[in-house]
Amino acid sequence: MKQTKTFLLGSVASAMLVAGPASAEEIRILINQSPWLNGFVAMVEEYEDQTDNTIELDVTPFGGMLEKTRNSVRGDDGRYDIVALNAAGMAEFYAGGFLKPLTEIDAEFALDENVLTFGGSTGWNFDTNGFSADGDLLGVPINGNVQVLYYRTDLYDEAGLTPPETWDDLMANAKALADDNTYGFIPRASRDSILYNFTSYLFSHGGSFFADPSGGDYSVTIASPEGLKALETYIALGNEAGPPNPGAIAQAELIQLMSTGRAAHAIAVVAAYPVLNDPNSSIVAGKVGTALIPAAEGEEHASAAGHWVAAIPKNVTGEKQDAALDFLNWFLSKKQQLFYVQSGGIPVRKDLSDSAGDNPSFAFLPAFSENASVSRMNMPLPQGSQISDAISLFLNQAVIGELTPTEALNKSADEMHRILTEAGYTLAEPSKL
Amino acid sequence: MISRTTRKNLLGGHLVAWGYALIIIGPMFWILSNSFKRQIDILMGNTFSTPILTNYETLLFSRQSDFLMNLWNSAMIGVVSTVIVLVIATLAAFTIIRLEPPKWATALLLGWALVFHMLPTLTFVGSWYVMFSNMGLHGTYTALILTHVLHALPQTMFLMVGFLLNIPRELIQAARMDGCSYGQVFRRIVVPLSFGGMAAAGALAFIQSWSDFAISLNLSDQDTMTAPVAIATFAQEHQIRYGEMAAASVMSMIPALILILLGQRYVVRGLMAGAVK
Amino acid sequence: MATNSTRRRNALWRIGSLLPASLLLVALSIYPVFNLVGLSLSDVEWIDGRAHSEFIGFANFDQLFRHETVYWAGVRNTIIFAICAVTAQMIFGFSMALAARRASGVTRAVLTAVFLLPIVMPPIVIGAMWRLLLGRDFGAVNTLLGYVGIGPIDFLGNPDIALASVILVDIWHWTPFVFLLMLTGLESLDQEVFEAAKFDVRSPWQELRYVTIPLMVPTILITLGLRLVLSFKVFDEVYLLTGGGPGTSTEVINFSIYRTFFAQDRLGVGSAMSLLTLVAVAVLIVVVNLWIRKRRSKSQEATS
Repeated sequence: MKQTKTFLLGSVASAMLVAGPASAEEIRILINQSPWLNGFVAMVEEYEDQTDNTIELDVTPFGGMLEKTRNSVRGDDGRYDIVALNAAGMAEFYAGGFLKPLTEIDAEFALDENVLTFGGSTGWNFDTNGFSADGDLLGVPINGNVQVLYYRTDLYDEAGLTPPETWDDLMANAKALADDNTYGFIPRASRDSILYNFTSYLFSHGGSFFADPSGGDYSVTIASPEGLKALETYIALGNEAGPPNPGAIAQAELIQLMSTGRAAHAIAVVAAYPVLNDPNSSIVAGKVGTALIPAAEGEEHASAAGHWVAAIPKNVTGEKQDAALDFLNWFLSKKQQLFYVQSGGIPVRKDLSDSAGDNPSFAFLPAFSENASVSRMNMPLPQGSQISDAISLFLNQAVIGELTPTEALNKSADEMHRILTEAGYTLAEPSKL
Repeated sequence: MISRTTRKNLLGGHLVAWGYALIIIGPMFWILSNSFKRQIDILMGNTFSTPILTNYETLLFSRQSDFLMNLWNSAMIGVVSTVIVLVIATLAAFTIIRLEPPKWATALLLGWALVFHMLPTLTFVGSWYVMFSNMGLHGTYTALILTHVLHALPQTMFLMVGFLLNIPRELIQAARMDGCSYGQVFRRIVVPLSFGGMAAAGALAFIQSWSDFAISLNLSDQDTMTAPVAIATFAQEHQIRYGEMAAASVMSMIPALILILLGQRYVVRGLMAGAVK
Repeated sequence: MATNSTRRRNALWRIGSLLPASLLLVALSIYPVFNLVGLSLSDVEWIDGRAHSEFIGFANFDQLFRHETVYWAGVRNTIIFAICAVTAQMIFGFSMALAARRASGVTRAVLTAVFLLPIVMPPIVIGAMWRLLLGRDFGAVNTLLGYVGIGPIDFLGNPDIALASVILVDIWHWTPFVFLLMLTGLESLDQEVFEAAKFDVRSPWQELRYVTIPLMVPTILITLGLRLVLSFKVFDEVYLLTGGGPGTSTEVINFSIYRTFFAQDRLGVGSAMSLLTLVAVAVLIVVVNLWIRKRRSKSQEATS
């Protein structure tokens, strides 16, 4: 069944409301089922109301997105005019040359300066083979998911604490709030999530994965004193303030422990905010606040991008591409983005906080904007998924005590260096501890 | 007259049976009760909570879910592919074990089926997507049924070979002496005597089709989406929606259970037909 | 005697009966399997939306042997998994079938329906639900254990017992498969044999040991083979239950293949993993087959 297909007898008046050519093209979007889908559907319906265009959504389980996207963009004729790509999969599709540069569809098209790019992830530089906001514009963000720090406002008020600025503050607060029934802090340290969760620790300790990815230098730098400090902090928070066996905590457990009131802090995606503040899924609804993720003393804050972009494949017709870009352009406007947040979406602009007022559904916006502005891509290259699989294991083994932090980082560095050298990169020797 | 030891053994057998049943029913009952709970009650592990119908309502009436349609697709694809695979696997099995086809033919067919059965399905779906898209069959029942038949074919064929081995060779030889053609032997002797085996192999083939995720995900579109794909949408990137998932599994297990009960009838009837011979 | 026309029809029948299965296999499985073999020998790169495939010989296999340590951890776990899970499933499935067969009428129908429930459940639900059931803080299993003063046990978080927990869930899930086939096998046995043997056996155990099991050998072997192959392909349980962790404690072969082939899009190494596994299991099957035949001919010599 067509999920949201509303056939509209578009009136002349509503067609004139949109800027640009009002084509009556039907476009098809591949998107994953998610808590923010309601917001996206509301946007689609709004767009259909305002124009005489129709949009068909192919709503797919998250676990099947990668396959369906590959199937469609790799064929001679694509099934989808817009595909949604998540942070982990972007590099593959950008680098593979499957996507139409948006400026080739409309030479005038450019992103508003208030639209977040999440570490330059909207563009791709085919010379350095990496993300760059100045490269070819290939995607526009449609869901601004980033990691934020969650904390229990009620426990903070009781204990007279303020949100932490540094990792040491967080450790102190977590220990202060921990008791028999409450874990001070929940790391998300299972094998499939640890790299993403660890990213903000690494960057905010002044560490890095690669020497200068935006300049095209992918020499491996993870095994550095800063990296070690970051991993030690990560493990200490888990061991000293967290639940037993943090090495098995994935997102589902993290949200379970937070929403059942069993935990005082966690670093998790902002997409969990509505879940943690809904009385049907949380006993601490209204008591969960968000803040900027801490940084080490004197270092810059950082968050890890976990957003989605929409991209237009090359293998659909020019008319479809035009219609698809019209929709995306409309989607990014400030007015529509406010509507998006109200309907349960996560916005992709940083200038919404001032228009939010006291509306409770906007409460997460300040912390969201702060984190989104400092969010970065951890693996900005096509080999990212292979590297991330390999080093996630070492990091996880460090958490469960099978490796020391030094061993884990050295092994990670060797493996990253090997994978990239075999893929044809010219690199300096990796830094070692 | 029943001796004391027999009675003790009978009692022991019953205890074992109901013990197993309890281990199975426990989690099932828990899932059933979860389908009437809020997410938070499930997460807290609350045994009792005010029952709600929201999960079923979302599943049946929300605009983003079309679960009855998904169930219909699953049933349709499952039943048709099971019937087809049973027929072709039984035919092949009968010829292979009783009509002495050339050795190389048997070896090739069974060997290839085994190779195909051992490789992970997920490594094929990409190829199938390309093949069916080129034929213009992507998203059709035909594509799904054909692949589901193929997917279940090796297992069904091996099972039918096993079951048909139980039919005494002499019976078939006698029938052939009486002037029956192979087709007549098949219809009058093999099919009635292997009803039980066909019911079991068919149930397993149906369950395989009913649970398939990888093939259906890649070859279906919104109109032909099957129940497991729809259920997988509740395991989301950031949250598993346990309540809806439980409701969906309850609803998807009911039709399958009905099939099993019908299959049971077949087993019994098949046995009776066998006993009459 | 068969007439000429019967003979011709019979010849047609022999070809025609094998044709549908063969055609289907040829049409839909040859290309994917050879494609897989081709992929295992090449390196595929996507440039400008087009695939560029380069023949690289056995480099992917070399990579697999020298660098894919996770796969080898998975091989070890899969062997342990297959042996433990299948053994338990065979024992439980067989005893459940014996129990169900002894029951009568409605009881038997109810028991059969109940015993089959787990394989009817969508696999993705099995993973999600058991993860919740086995949870340390809120899981129902730990709640029950708490009543008798045990635990809490971190079934999925403790690397030492995570694999055992996955095996338990697999046993729960797949025992019905064995049960169904065993029940069918038992029901198809000739009752006259049991009547005849009645006076020679002194207890149900003897009947089981000397009459039932020998008669059930073909069914047992086929079931065992199918279960072994399926357990080497285990994926669903691990995917949502543990994701292969903690560390590599629950990594299994098919999960490595999934991550390499799909998540990382390294088709070459992923295909090499599938083919290596295939060859290993095929060799195993041949060896076991030969061993069984040898034993059987020996025992026949002994009895004759």
